[in-house]
Amino acid sequence: MSGVKLESIVKAYGAVQVVHGIDLEVKEKEFVVLVGPSGCGKSTTLRMVAGLEEISDGTLTIDGKVVNRIAPKDRDVAMVFQNYALYPHLDVAENIAFGLRIRKESKENIEKAIKDVAGILGLENYLERRPADLSGGQRQRVAMGRAIVRRPKVFLFDEPLSNLDAKLRTQMRAEIKRLHQRLGVTSIYVTHDQVEAMTLADRIVVMNDGRIEQVGSPMELFLNPVNAFVAGFLGAPPMNQIQAVISGGDAAPIAEFAGQQFTLPPLPGLQNAVGRKVIVGIRPEYATPQTKAVEGSVSCTLELVETLGSEALLHTTIGGEPFVIRTETLGNMDQLNAVNGFTADPALIKVFDAETGVALSGQLRVA
Amino acid sequence: MSDAATPKPAVTHFVNKRPVSQRIVDHLKREWQIYLMLAPTVIWLLLFLYKPMYGLQIAFKDYSIFRGVAASPWIGFDHFETLFASEQFLRALKNTIYISMMSLIIGFPVPILLALMFNEVLHQTFKKTAQTIVYLPHFISSVIIAGIVITAFSPSAGIVNTILSWFDIDPIYFLTKPEWFRPIFIGTTIWQEAGFQSIVFIAAISGVSPTLYESAVVDGASRWQMMWKITVPSIIIMLIIRIGNMLEVSFEMIILLYQPATYETADVVNTFIYRQGLQSGQYDFAAAAGLFNAVIAFVLVMTANSISKRYSRTSLW
Amino acid sequence: MANMNLYSRNDRIFVIVNMVLIGIFTISTLYPFIYIASLSFSSGFEARAGNVILTPIETTLEAYKYILSERMFWVSYGNTFIYTIGGTIMSLLFLIPGAYALSRPQIYGRRFWNLLVAFTMWFNAGLIPFFLNMRDLGLLDSYFGIIIGFAVNGFNLILLRNFFEGVPSSFEEAARMDGANDFQVLVKVYMPLAKPAIATVALFCIVSRWNGFFWAMVLLQDEDKIPLQVFLRHTIVTLSDDQQFTATLVNASYSVETVSAAIIVCSIVPVLIIYPFIQKYFEKGILLGGVKE
Repeated sequence: MSGVKLESIVKAYGAVQVVHGIDLEVKEKEFVVLVGPSGCGKSTTLRMVAGLEEISDGTLTIDGKVVNRIAPKDRDVAMVFQNYALYPHLDVAENIAFGLRIRKESKENIEKAIKDVAGILGLENYLERRPADLSGGQRQRVAMGRAIVRRPKVFLFDEPLSNLDAKLRTQMRAEIKRLHQRLGVTSIYVTHDQVEAMTLADRIVVMNDGRIEQVGSPMELFLNPVNAFVAGFLGAPPMNQIQAVISGGDAAPIAEFAGQQFTLPPLPGLQNAVGRKVIVGIRPEYATPQTKAVEGSVSCTLELVETLGSEALLHTTIGGEPFVIRTETLGNMDQLNAVNGFTADPALIKVFDAETGVALSGQLRVA
Repeated sequence: MSDAATPKPAVTHFVNKRPVSQRIVDHLKREWQIYLMLAPTVIWLLLFLYKPMYGLQIAFKDYSIFRGVAASPWIGFDHFETLFASEQFLRALKNTIYISMMSLIIGFPVPILLALMFNEVLHQTFKKTAQTIVYLPHFISSVIIAGIVITAFSPSAGIVNTILSWFDIDPIYFLTKPEWFRPIFIGTTIWQEAGFQSIVFIAAISGVSPTLYESAVVDGASRWQMMWKITVPSIIIMLIIRIGNMLEVSFEMIILLYQPATYETADVVNTFIYRQGLQSGQYDFAAAAGLFNAVIAFVLVMTANSISKRYSRTSLW
Repeated sequence: MANMNLYSRNDRIFVIVNMVLIGIFTISTLYPFIYIASLSFSSGFEARAGNVILTPIETTLEAYKYILSERMFWVSYGNTFIYTIGGTIMSLLFLIPGAYALSRPQIYGRRFWNLLVAFTMWFNAGLIPFFLNMRDLGLLDSYFGIIIGFAVNGFNLILLRNFFEGVPSSFEEAARMDGANDFQVLVKVYMPLAKPAIATVALFCIVSRWNGFFWAMVLLQDEDKIPLQVFLRHTIVTLSDDQQFTATLVNASYSVETVSAAIIVCSIVPVLIIYPFIQKYFEKGILLGGVKE
């Protein structure tokens, strides 16, 4: 079974440690996305799996074999690079065949492999072109072709779409997903773009400062972030996070902020919590805008309405802090411009400890 | 965002558990090919450039070919004492300094002026043609250049004397006249190298961002003003570096052009070394002169390097 | 750059004066070559009389006939080709792998190795120790000595190294993932990518080999091994003092001047042939190598 297993993987440059002991198991045929802000160690981790960076400590297993000290070429993995690294002096066919030539495959095999790959990726008409004569999307495809032609056990992707424009990125994202479904090869994909992570991943690994913050399916992470970092990282626009203090009793905890009150669900984490400083997290999607005060509503000041067609983002402030509401427009702009408050279902509100950022609220079930 | 909420983990001090020897073995197993690529060059450097540095010790020895470098007896600073008592050496030293100072004062501004002038030419074909021609002499051997000079200054047939004869001036045998050697030599090196040296300055000038020029045009600066305010500062570093390389008098050319009659103005340290060492076989004595020369040159280069580093940190870029 | 209309009338005068000055400098660079070429095609008599100024007078090929019948001319010309081709190939065999290795961030002691190279550019043991070393190595008076003894040069090494450093490391990584070892990475990926830099260095080597004379003069005793430049020097510098040669010239249609000029022309021609290639690369080359270190 061609899974990848990382056990207490550490990367250090000299005495400075940048990846602090990562544990992760990628199952066979699984598509795992490492996501996090730049400098969080996700690329370094991927490069350690590839064999391009030495593993300072820990054990890396690919397909049941410890590969810590095995050269990249002998790990049977393939990688797609951010800048594609297509050899500019070779044409598309030669780029795709490079690895096979190096490995001294027979001529017929190579030709057949090029044909197959070109067919899969729709590159048949470009085989004799040089990379310089290709569009961004075509280059991206050649880079993938170079990876899949060897039929490796594991695909590694290092921010492969970040050099493309937004439209092409969406298109290539879907193509990568389709390719994975078709070839079923274990894949590890690094990106800083949470949309890519959400759409592509079987499981997402959120990383920060050289550690894993949370691992789970996209919906798990979206609904039940274990801490404020994950909550803020996934979702666009990000979850609103408001500093508040707990008041009220255990049965009906209330978050107080900027002179306003908000009813919280009676979560186990909020027992004996009166006076505790927390962060209240409300996703923009889960706030319902109001034009007049209703029961449980919180008032806010509307600053700006960003219309996206069917949807709109309402940029508001509560006590000077920004708060974003996402809502459907239904074509009624007057209604949106009159918004002066919102309500939220207590069940969808997340509460995090203000000090540690750890989630205090209970779990939402993944539908 | 949530940065404040997530405590930053303290930077962990990593201690590698694998022993150093083991890690070196791993490293070599992985990278031996790179070291194999490096080896020939390093061996060459050691054999052809560093071994002679070891051989420099003969400057302090009574060197004999039969005993070799290591076995020859030490004699301390005897050679240096002889050297500084030698009128010929002092003359060569004086000539070296004089010729390089004059070359610098007269020769340094020429490539800069050329570069500045080329920079102002808008007609591309004219510019390319002119550049192609003025770079050419750099690629011609000093023997040929010397040949041209000897031919051109020949007393009987040379063009220079022909021109002088139009003004009823008697032929001058320029290359046997000590007072003519330096002007001819300096003029020749400028003629040969100025064009090529201007490349470096053209590069320095084009390193100045074009937007600087454009904003200056918008601000109403004339081309002359722009040249002084924008282009000139970018050149100062080059000047410092040139001063550092001052002792590099092209002695090959001097060997080709001088003769005993002009030694008094033409003989420089390297030609002195060449005659004493390679022609008269006084290896140890000549090596002492060479060591003296190399040390001075090294100090000059290092000083210039550190000055230009300090300057470039606080400069435009 | 910008267009002419941007500038005022004063500026236009400046532009014209500037072009005239450049024109004068350019012509004064070109003239000596024209003069020599004209001399080589003139008769010995007119050359001796100092009548040749711009164009050949009494055009003749006698000077060329004389040198082309000289055995030493052909021997030394052949030797120069041996030194130029052999020396350039030898240099590239050292410089390409060496520069590539120096550019790799993963090697231990990278700073030390680079310093080892840079130091040779700051400090030089000088003529005598180098000569004695060549003698101790048994490389006097040998083709191989000339070819190997000047194979590596710090400037060229650093120029190439800087180029290799500028290539994104993902090319190396991609090739390594594709299964290439370090030699394959260098030969199949980096060398094709570095073609302009390698061409620049090769041209620098060719020119310095073609022109090299000092060490050939010092290290080679055997006349049959001397390169063209040494022969040329012998002819130009010593011929004019050679009473015997001058005596043979009394009735000849060539002279010391025209013969010298003819040899000069013959040895410049190959340089002129490759000069367009040199021009294409050297400005780039200077930029590549000159800035760092």
